[in-house]
Order: sequence, then structure tokens, then C-alpha cells
Amino acid sequence: MTLPDIPVAAATGTLTGNARAVLGEVATLLDGLLRTGEGGLIDIRGLPMSPADRQWLLEQLGKGEVEILMDIGGRSRIVETGLPAVWWIEHRNEHGVLASEFVQVAYVPELISAHPDDVESGLEALRSRISELS
Amino acid sequence: MRANRILDTLAGQGITRRAFLKYCATLASLMALPPSAGKAFADALAKAPRPSVIWLPFQECTGCTEAITRSHSPSIEGMLFDMISLDYQETLMAAAGHQAEAALHEAIQRNMGKYLLIVDGSVPLGLDGAYSCIAGRSNLETLKEVAAGAAAIVAMGSCAAYGGLPKANPNPTGAVAVSDVIKDKPIINIPGCPPIPVVMTGVLAHFLTFGGLPELDRLGRPKAFYGETIHDRCYRRPFYDQGKFAKTFDDEGARKGWCLFELGCKGPVTYNACASVKWNDGTSWPVESGHGCLGCSEPDFWDAGGFYKALSMPARPLKLEPAAIAAGVVAGAAIAASSRSRKSAAKAAHETTTLADLEK
Amino acid sequence: MNELQFLTWVRGPGLDAAVAIFLLGTVWRLIEIYGLGRKKDLAAPRLTPGASGWHTIVRRSVPPEGMFKQSPVTYVGGYVFHIGLAAIVFLFAPHIKLVEGLVGLSWPGLPSQIVDLVSVVTLAAMVVVLVDRIKRPVKRFLSGFEDWFTWAVTFLPVLTGWLAVQHLLLPYTTMLALHILSVEVLLVTLPFTKLFHAFTVFGSRWYNGTVNGHKGVPV
Repeated sequence: MTLPDIPVAAATGTLTGNARAVLGEVATLLDGLLRTGEGGLIDIRGLPMSPADRQWLLEQLGKGEVEILMDIGGRSRIVETGLPAVWWIEHRNEHGVLASEFVQVAYVPELISAHPDDVESGLEALRSRISELS
Repeated sequence: MRANRILDTLAGQGITRRAFLKYCATLASLMALPPSAGKAFADALAKAPRPSVIWLPFQECTGCTEAITRSHSPSIEGMLFDMISLDYQETLMAAAGHQAEAALHEAIQRNMGKYLLIVDGSVPLGLDGAYSCIAGRSNLETLKEVAAGAAAIVAMGSCAAYGGLPKANPNPTGAVAVSDVIKDKPIINIPGCPPIPVVMTGVLAHFLTFGGLPELDRLGRPKAFYGETIHDRCYRRPFYDQGKFAKTFDDEGARKGWCLFELGCKGPVTYNACASVKWNDGTSWPVESGHGCLGCSEPDFWDAGGFYKALSMPARPLKLEPAAIAAGVVAGAAIAASSRSRKSAAKAAHETTTLADLEK
Repeated sequence: MNELQFLTWVRGPGLDAAVAIFLLGTVWRLIEIYGLGRKKDLAAPRLTPGASGWHTIVRRSVPPEGMFKQSPVTYVGGYVFHIGLAAIVFLFAPHIKLVEGLVGLSWPGLPSQIVDLVSVVTLAAMVVVLVDRIKRPVKRFLSGFEDWFTWAVTFLPVLTGWLAVQHLLLPYTTMLALHILSVEVLLVTLPFTKLFHAFTVFGSRWYNGTVNGHKGVPV
């Protein structure tokens, strides 16, 4: 007897309807972004959704033009969805396991922009390199 | 001073700010904090110093330690272990015997009043504590001594938090929780059998960033992780609401992933984060694997009426009923008989009224 | 005692004692009532259309001519909360599970959202009939301690059950335990108060109808 002979499968195929609520929240956040400039973050892992719900949500949001890959203690992937300013963020650990997942509503996801402190130390490094060259 | 900060320590290990932000976002997600808290978390955590931690094992099975150390590296858990100075942990430390004891006492002396004490296992009070001793001293004695200099105590696992399995009826060793012994220190309970690793690291992160205890519920558990029931966050919850239940572990409902309430799931009365955090790198968790929740993060879950009995079912078989029905029959019959005899007595006492009587 | 121990107690020894007292009282009262016996009516029965026990059972379930207009709250409120109670008690999945656990019988239930709605309607109807009882001088005059008390022990299980499912006011575990405890109070008091009408209502209607039907009077 092999595994497929056992007629038990994980419940993946059922839509619970919980993903619909996420779309509503995305709409609210987008509205807020346009009016106040402040978007927001939705924690996908924190919601009771089945794998089918997640898939449905991904399909509803669609795919946009931008995809950003980051190697920061494991892969991270930020994908623009079919809706401008709505980003799907996946954080994986070093074993490639999905650690957290968010939908961010922002013109540019925060994680991408550099921190002033880091810019400062980068500038210092560049200056010392320039002075070394001269 | 700058070199003692966590972010700088991590930078020394090649962990960048973005990686750190990512970890904090994940940590906030796991702690069920609002997603925006991730950044606030990162800001505070970056500046926090490394504290000394002493870990005492009492009447336990080492499952809690196993759970924590099985959390993969360099995960948040791994990272946080880099953020603390774990000065005494019998299972993990290289030292043994007198050396280990010396390390313990040195850590106490050096960090008096500042260290964090983690306890796993219950404290047996029976036979003057003789059921569990380390270095010739009872757990009770050791706990009192080490707790005296601690800034705060973390009761790790259901045994330390509530007495756990050793306290199960009839509690042969007289096991009690840490909070039953220590009354004058802040205690954070992190129950679970074992507890979820990230819950411990989340609490540590909180201790490091905000310098105090996280908000606790009535049972001393951090609300961030124990604020909602398993049932509330369960992905099978919609089936409960629709009234779709698995009746056995291999019926149609079980295959379709329906609600496990009728198979004894204690999710509705169990406060823990399994449903959102999951186990084994977020692979799965008991309900997802098809078994109901045992309620391991609740006090006395061993004695809560059976793991496979639905919550709405009697916790133990009814015993008094046959006697009650018999008593009811006897009482009813006795009263009915007395009513009847009163009736016939009244009938017998009845005097017939004749025409002559009426003309009187 | 913590919440879970409290819950385990009400599910264990508490339930056992409550069900035992309920059965004892019910058996006792039924035997007592039906054991009374009545004198045989030796007169020849007068047959009048509509005069029988069965007719009375049906007739007293609908308002007599003109009565509905006089006290609509009593009829509508009364019907709504009685039907609501029956639906909640017998068609909520965890309740069916309890019955199955106790006697092995099982039947399909309603989705929990529907039971939830029914609970709200039932609670509202019970509040309305209570307010009506307080506000109407005649009803108030006729009401004694037992009426207020039985209203409360009927209302509390529905309220605590609904609060537990909705996770309001207290942690679910505590509220669930309070819910079961309130049901146990109801079980204990039912055989010894007016609530015993749950068992006797149709029997007494049938009896009255039969006795009067024998005399040719439809009641």
C-alpha cells in the first residue's frame, strides 16, 4: 500500500469565504492611501484562510509589473499585484520555508527604501574610498 | 556602549537592517500584533542590551527544551538566542556537576536583580521536595534561591505554569506551579506541552525591547499569543459555523477537513497561537493534521474530561441517574398513595345529606 | 478553581447532580399527578362536535375570538420565544451532541448563524413579554415570585449561551461554564415550579377537554 492508496487528503480545496473580507480591507486601505498618503499592512498568516482561500485571493489581486527579490536571511519576494500600490510580500527563511506573508498597500513598500543611518554609513564608506583613490 | 546593542551584535554577524526588519515583521505577525508593530518592534529591539538568562529544569520531561532547540536556525528563535546570554541551562551547557553549579552561582552574583529566570517543570512539594533534586537540593530550595535575584520569571511549559502532567489527578508528588511558590516576582506563564518556541522568543523580545512584561491575561499568559482561542483562529472554523463535523477520524467529514469539535477538540476553550503560528517551521499543527486540540496550554488539561469527548458532552459518565429515577418512583408512589388514602379517608368521613337535613 | 476546572465540574459532577434531580423530580411529579386518579363520571357522555381532549389541545393553542387584539404581545411574544427556545435547545449542533452523548439519539442541526439569529430573537421576545408583564396592571397583579424567578432561570441559559458563542463579556470558557451551570439550575428547578408545564401542558389540556367533552361542553 502506498500513500495515494489512502483516501485521506489535506483539506485544501474548500473556499471558506474569508478571503473576500481581505479584498474589502484592501479597498479601504487604498482609499486611505489616496486621501491621506497612509496605506497599511495586512497579515495574511494571521487570518483563518484555507490554502484555497489564499489562492483565490492571489488570483483576485492579479499580477502587476514589478517583482522584487531580496536575499536577506532567506529569500524575500515583493510582487506588485494587478492593482497599483498593492504589494504581495513573502518572507522565507534560509530553508526556503514561508515565514510570513503580507499584503501591503503603499506607493513603494517600506522595506525597499534605504534607512538614513545606512545611507550615512554608505556615504562614509564611499568618501573614504574616494579619498583612498586620490 | 554601542557594541552592546542587539542590532550591532547582529551586524557583526552579517545580519543587515533589512533582514532585521523582516524578522521583526515576522515576529509581529507571529505575536498577532498589528502588522505596523513590526517596525516599532525593530526600532526598540535594535537598541536593547543583551540580558543574562538562567534556565532551571525541575520536574519535567525536557520536551520544552527540545521544542525550543528544534526551532531552526537562524530563525527568529535562533536570532534571539544570540541576543541573550544563556548562562545556565543543564541540557545545553557543556559544563556539568560542580562546574555547572559554579556557573549558576556566578551568573546569579554577577547579574543580581537583573537576570531573567526561565523555569520548566513543576515543583514537587511532597516528602519535603525529595521527588526532584539537583545537586543535592530540592527544586523548592533552588527555586527560592534563584528567584530571589531575578528581574522576572518565565514559567516555561504547562508544568511550570500550572503544574501540568505531574499535577494530574491524584498528583502523587504534590506538584505545584512556580506561581504557587514564588509570590513576590513578576511571573510570565508560557504554557503548552510543549509551548510554541516563538512564544518564548516573542516574550524575550518583549522583555528586551520594552524592558518589562508583556500584557498578561488572568492566567499569567501573554495576551499577544494567548489572547484568542484556537477555535477563533482555526481555518476549520467555518465548518463549525455551518454545522459540518467529522464524526470519526476516517469518515467523509474527516477527509473533507470538517470541524473536529465532535471528536473532542478543545479548541473553543484553549487559548494559544497554534492556529496562526503552527509547528515545525509553520508546516502544520494538530487540527490541520486531523486531530482535535488537547487544550495543552490550559491548567489541568489532563483532567478536563477526556481528550476525545466533545466539550458539550458530559465530562464523566452520569452515575446518579438510576438511583434518582428509582427515588423519583418511590417518592411519587408514596405521595400518590398518601393522596389516595386521604381521598378515601375524606370519602369515608363524608356524611350523606338527606332531605330531612335540608329541612332542619 | 480556574475556568477549566469550573467547566469540568459543571460538565461532570454538576451535570450528574442536576440531571439526577431533574429525573427524580420529573418522575416523582408525573407519578404524583397521574396517580391522583379521578372519580369515574357515571353519566352518559354527551357528544357535541368540537368537544374532546384533542380539540382542546388544538383550540388552546390558538387565541380565542378577540383575544389576539387585546393582548397581541402575549401571543406573539409567547409563540416566538417558545418556538425559539425549542429551536435553540434541539437544533444547535453542540446540544444535539450532548443528547447523543447522554442517550445515543442524534439528528441534523441548524447552521450556527441561524441558531444565533434565533437566540437574539428569542431573547428579545422574552424581554418584551417581561416588560409587558411589568407594565400591564393585571398581569403584574397576577405575578408572584415564582413568575419572575422562572422567567429568569429560562432567560439566563439563552443569554449566557449566546454571550458564550459571541465571546462577549467574559472569556469563552467561563461563559460556557456559566451557561451550563444556568442550564443545570433550570433542570433542578423545572420539576418543582410552573416550568413543569413543559411536561403537563398537553396532558392537562387533554384532561380538561375530555372531562368537559363528556358533559358536551367544548372548552
